[in-house]
Amino acid sequence: MVFSSLTFLFFFLPAFLILYYVIPGRAKNFVLLIFSLLFYAWGEPIYILLMLFSSFVDYTDGRLQERFASSLVKKRVCLVIALLINFSLLGYFKYADFSVGIWNALTPFDVKLPGVALPVGISFYTFQTVSYSIDVYKGRIKAEKNYLDYLTYVSMFPQLIAGPIVRFSTVQQEIHSREISESGFVSGMKRFILGLLRKVLIANQIGALWDTIRVADGISIVTAWLGLLCFTLQLYYDFSAYSDMAIGLGQMLGFHFPENFIYPLSSVSVTDFWRRWHVSLSTWFRDYVYIPLGGNRVGMVKHFRNIFVVWFLTGLWHGASWNFVLWGLYHGTLLTLEKFIWGKWLKKLPMALQHLYAIIIVIFGFGIFTFDNLSEMGTYFVKLIGIPGNPLFGTEFWWYTGNYLPVLLAAIVLSFPVYPAFVKKVEGAGTTAVNVVKTVGTVLMAGLFILAISSLVKDTYNPFLYFRF
Amino acid sequence: MSNNSDKKKIGILDRIPVYLICVVTLCFIIVFFVSEKKTFSQNENRKLAQMPEFNFEKIKSGDFTSGFETFVADQFPARDAFMRLMAEVERITGRKEINDIYLAKDGSLIERYKYPKNTAKQIDQFSKLAVNVENARCMLMMVPTAVSVYSDLLPENANDPDLQQQIISDIYSASSDKLQKIDVSTRLKDEAKKTVSEPLTEDITGNRLFYRTDHHWTTYGAYIGYEAFCEAAGLTPIPLSEYTGEIVSENFKGTIYSKLNDPYFGADRIVSYSYPDWKLSVEYSDTEEVTDTPYNKEYLSEKDQYSYFLNNIHPLITITNDAVQDGAIALVKDSYANSIVPFLLAHYHTVYVFDTRYYKGGPSKFINEHPEISDVLILYNMNTIDNDTGIGGIF
Repeated sequence: MVFSSLTFLFFFLPAFLILYYVIPGRAKNFVLLIFSLLFYAWGEPIYILLMLFSSFVDYTDGRLQERFASSLVKKRVCLVIALLINFSLLGYFKYADFSVGIWNALTPFDVKLPGVALPVGISFYTFQTVSYSIDVYKGRIKAEKNYLDYLTYVSMFPQLIAGPIVRFSTVQQEIHSREISESGFVSGMKRFILGLLRKVLIANQIGALWDTIRVADGISIVTAWLGLLCFTLQLYYDFSAYSDMAIGLGQMLGFHFPENFIYPLSSVSVTDFWRRWHVSLSTWFRDYVYIPLGGNRVGMVKHFRNIFVVWFLTGLWHGASWNFVLWGLYHGTLLTLEKFIWGKWLKKLPMALQHLYAIIIVIFGFGIFTFDNLSEMGTYFVKLIGIPGNPLFGTEFWWYTGNYLPVLLAAIVLSFPVYPAFVKKVEGAGTTAVNVVKTVGTVLMAGLFILAISSLVKDTYNPFLYFRF
Repeated sequence: MSNNSDKKKIGILDRIPVYLICVVTLCFIIVFFVSEKKTFSQNENRKLAQMPEFNFEKIKSGDFTSGFETFVADQFPARDAFMRLMAEVERITGRKEINDIYLAKDGSLIERYKYPKNTAKQIDQFSKLAVNVENARCMLMMVPTAVSVYSDLLPENANDPDLQQQIISDIYSASSDKLQKIDVSTRLKDEAKKTVSEPLTEDITGNRLFYRTDHHWTTYGAYIGYEAFCEAAGLTPIPLSEYTGEIVSENFKGTIYSKLNDPYFGADRIVSYSYPDWKLSVEYSDTEEVTDTPYNKEYLSEKDQYSYFLNNIHPLITITNDAVQDGAIALVKDSYANSIVPFLLAHYHTVYVFDTRYYKGGPSKFINEHPEISDVLILYNMNTIDNDTGIGGIF
């Protein structure tokens, strides 16, 4: 199930919230667990067993590690077994076809493609359970004693299929006891609704524009770049809206999930971008791969190796296809160059140029990201530089922008932190201003909500981009 | 333990929007449960999904959940109103293309044409028929639609090369030499230029070759098609002025209208032509019904008014006109032909009309068994042929 569906909004969520608030105390976790399993099983009735198994492995691992607290060797064996199982499952269900494809390309012994369907959310929950096992091993957290509570954490539907990647350490306390307040409900619900609006009214619309430009013939160079900008905006709004909805839902239930997107398209460098884009993933790789490998406190060669490994894996995590790996390495390379070569100079440039520099790199990068077929990527990329003889500018640009002008403008403006700045300004202007703005905001929000529902009713066009992760 | 965002004071103005939306949502849920479920949507001309069966097999296969989602979408309260709201907002915010429909400069709706997938199959089947037919002359008419004919009316900068023209050429050059190809595009385009630049006032055709809200050509457009046919077949067309024209409807909202459901786009007029000398007998093979007109007025009070022409869908219709002594033609066609058939009646004693979606066994067998058939006309429009399920039945 996805959040931006009529079924979720009008059936699942209301039923869940009512039960969740009515049922007292500790039993709330049970309601959350049942609904989470239902949520997952809705689209994947079989693969739910996989998730149950995966979480059982790490739960058991945590208990065993605690029993063997005195023996480092035994603890380590437990951890290694748990990691092996987790990564084998992820490897098989996500990368089997990809690996066999490589094998077939490199060797004369062809193997039939296994044709495994990717279980939803496996990349997210595997990273959560792995971080749990490692944190227990490192002594950062205590192992969870109650399997149902642990399972509730892993399967929790707000963040189950598209993140943020919430670590057990973040919610351990809240799993057992959390404060559920009316103010939490109100601000969580507001955040959820705003996320829904961003997803339905911005991401879906801009996505439709990208779908058109992607396959359009005879477009000019400027339009080809507009296309990639659209994909970038679509991905950002889709993904960050999903995180917003997850964080909002969490807040309603009394949980506090980490922020995942901090206006990444307003970055001034690639380094800056990765502090803002999918933060829960980049910090995961930092804490569980980069630093354990020695980070930057090793020799030059090893340091480069560490950077390479992290960005290779970051790319691969996004999907079993070379273009994702390429995308990861592209960013890794640019980060390294910024760190060692032009980072210092970059900071001296005028702000506008820094923004331009970062956004062009990011947009081009998502061009690599979006084409998992390398020949399609090639066909599109030559359009970006005009090799097939297309002109720099053509009137079709006005056609595409004209059709989507309000939503394009909104998408571009709102990708910069103008909203928080506006709120701050209004708050500084006194109570009357605040009240006026909130009143206007109420009307606007209700109107846009109705429009979002119209869009969901009208459009079966509601693609969801993240099932591949 | 709660963090700052919860501690921030929540006032009445923060509560109102959130609770308002919650209340609205609950109202919709209540209406959904108490309202009677519809089985058919007039507007979309299709059956609406019902609550799926609940059993283990369906749950395991995922059919239950996907069925439930279409059920919710199809039965959602005020569905048509929501569709309309979205279309209106899109139009007001400057969209010139909504759901693959161009909002043309003159306020009409024109469907986009996408690169076809089944052209090879069409070429194959048309050629098969031409080869199988032993004695009659076979003709092929591929009719371009509004997107090609009215390309001047497409919105400013619409990046739409005339793909239909190219595909028609492909089909014409690749199909059997036994088929005589009829160029209807040129005539329609010339006529479009004339009527757009210097429209006749007081003309009942409304100067339109295609309906403003439907994917079919008008009877006037069909008449231009008839002229093209006459030229190819060596017949002299009867001037339109000799026909009696009658406006039979002013409130036809066609198939393209249904995709937007926005009254802003208005409705169409249907003009019907008849010839004073007709002595007709129209026989529908499936219902064995016999009438004396190629029209059925009952459809004018329904949503699907175009079915007025030739009484909707039948596998084989046999029309005889006793005012004409001899000659027979067989039509293998889609619904476009339904409005051209009345014009052919003046030239043939018998017109056989095949709908190969339902007529099984291939028209060529029938044609060879009826030696009086001298002409065979295959007539399809470019817009819907790619999805036409009757193509396989042409041989």
